[in-house]
Amino acid sequence: MNLRLSDLSACFEGVIPSIIATASADGMPNISYLSHVVRVDEEHVALSNQFFAKTAANVRANPKVTLILVDGFTGDQFLLDIGFVRSIDAGALFDKIARQLKASSAQVGMSDVMRLRSADIFRVHGIEKVPSPVETASPMASRAPVSLPALAEALKAIEQQAEADEIIDSLLGAIQRVLGYGNVLVLIHDNHRGCLITTGSIGYQRSGLGSEIAGSDGLIGAAATSGQTIKVSDMSRVRRFGEAIVLEAEGAENTSRTVAFPQLPTAMSQIAVPMTAGGTVMGVLFIESTERLAFREEDEAALEILAGQAASALRASEREAAAAEMRPAVLLPEAAPAGRDVRVVHHRFDDSVFVDGTYIVKGVAGTLLRLMLEWHRSDGRNEFTNREMRLAVGARMPEIKDNLETRLLLLRRRLEEKQAPIRLVRVGRGRVRLEAEGPLILDATAGDYP
Amino acid sequence: MRLDDRLHDFFNRPLMCIIAVADNTGRPSAGRGVGFQLLEDYERIDVIFSAWQWPRLETCIRQTGRIAATFVSPSDYVSYQLKGFAAMRETETADFDRAHCFMTAATDELESLGVPRRLIEPWLTAREARVARLAISEIYVQTPGPLAGMLVGEQFGTRSQ
Repeated sequence: MNLRLSDLSACFEGVIPSIIATASADGMPNISYLSHVVRVDEEHVALSNQFFAKTAANVRANPKVTLILVDGFTGDQFLLDIGFVRSIDAGALFDKIARQLKASSAQVGMSDVMRLRSADIFRVHGIEKVPSPVETASPMASRAPVSLPALAEALKAIEQQAEADEIIDSLLGAIQRVLGYGNVLVLIHDNHRGCLITTGSIGYQRSGLGSEIAGSDGLIGAAATSGQTIKVSDMSRVRRFGEAIVLEAEGAENTSRTVAFPQLPTAMSQIAVPMTAGGTVMGVLFIESTERLAFREEDEAALEILAGQAASALRASEREAAAAEMRPAVLLPEAAPAGRDVRVVHHRFDDSVFVDGTYIVKGVAGTLLRLMLEWHRSDGRNEFTNREMRLAVGARMPEIKDNLETRLLLLRRRLEEKQAPIRLVRVGRGRVRLEAEGPLILDATAGDYP
Repeated sequence: MRLDDRLHDFFNRPLMCIIAVADNTGRPSAGRGVGFQLLEDYERIDVIFSAWQWPRLETCIRQTGRIAATFVSPSDYVSYQLKGFAAMRETETADFDRAHCFMTAATDELESLGVPRRLIEPWLTAREARVARLAISEIYVQTPGPLAGMLVGEQFGTRSQ
């Protein structure tokens, strides 16, 4: 065949329904819409068959089938001459189809309904393009392919970074530079709180650093729990994901102790890519676009490669920092800075911290700031090693061994973003310095349970 | 089989139409309809399609005389499939008018539901319009839900979908 299934990737997004025609043993045709066709490989497609009683019966009596697929970018139509091969209800191929079905069902709000029970596999004998009465070309279809040299360069850049902030910034920059997406978030998994926390952000009016996605909520949570990339290609058909996402305005942070999740109100496509290293999902890369079908198959592959590289680099960074901390530190007491008092309040029940009444962060990052302030109060010093923080917090929050760096990064960026009179400065591998504009006062007892 | 009043009302909505046929080896083919006319007896329906875009439809109908046409209301997914024997008839000027009205209504409806017009335009053309006259022998509910596949008018209908 001249056309290949891989040329039809925009037909498999589940945006425009496909059509299936069958015929019974006595030759009576039957026709139905079909919401999901999955490309198995270059020669096979799979159809979920739970809703198609007559279609399924016809296919078993007469394996000859015709499909009409529609390109979601251009509206182009393709006639596929296919033949039934077999039905499957378990195994690796079934799991792959079930995952893809779930992902595409998500965009019509039916991910709970469309549970796959079995799938029919068909061999593709021929593909024909249906003549179109109009010229069909879209700006998206003519987008340049992903540049492999640029992708390779971006991967090298990420690999060369040693610190969590540099790794995340490299990842964000690479996505902008290599793939041209302007709205990107990096969320890091927090086992202690059972959520994902926004730790890197570009393109949003408000960065949303510190905002959280709970459990398996929405695309981002689903990508984290399944370890699979999940995308929505046409938001006009979807109820907005992230209904569980807290939408409080900036001013409400101080009362809700919750940072609003960044929003792109005109988003038409979204993708959530798990950041996996050594089989563990460390976080999720989330991208939005105002274009329909903004994420082609090759874009998805490039994002998965970049996300994997960043996850590996983050893991290596944590390990290297832990090793570097082994050398002894000379941590001398310092004189308190002149200036007005800087009051820090810590609430133990959620480890939230406020600096001069402004909400900064909660969870592990909040605990770390409290610790540093306690040590500052008892020893008079301003420099701290990651190692001592790891030891002090590790008993209560064992997962800290894997993500201390990213928690310190979140704390540092939130202090900067809120223009707090305290700054956290990295002064070497595995070591930070707390700088304040005045004497620090820690209030760790009041207001624990507001 | 006769269309009842409820079905007659359904055919006054903006609709999309898909058509299946089969050749004399049992191989099905498919295409889109771009217009229709219910005949006065409510037992027959003329279905218009483009032979330029879907050349196999006419060939198969001439070979086997069998056709299935599903009509769907895009706003609520209410769908019915009509099946039966069909014969080709001469295309008349009025058929082009019917096709024009059908295509305009369908395009406007889909566009109002968020489908960009440029995506819809490749699907609908009356170029080399042909008309198949379908004598309705079976009508199936094809709306997604518990009644999907039910034969209209039968308490314990055969399921088709």
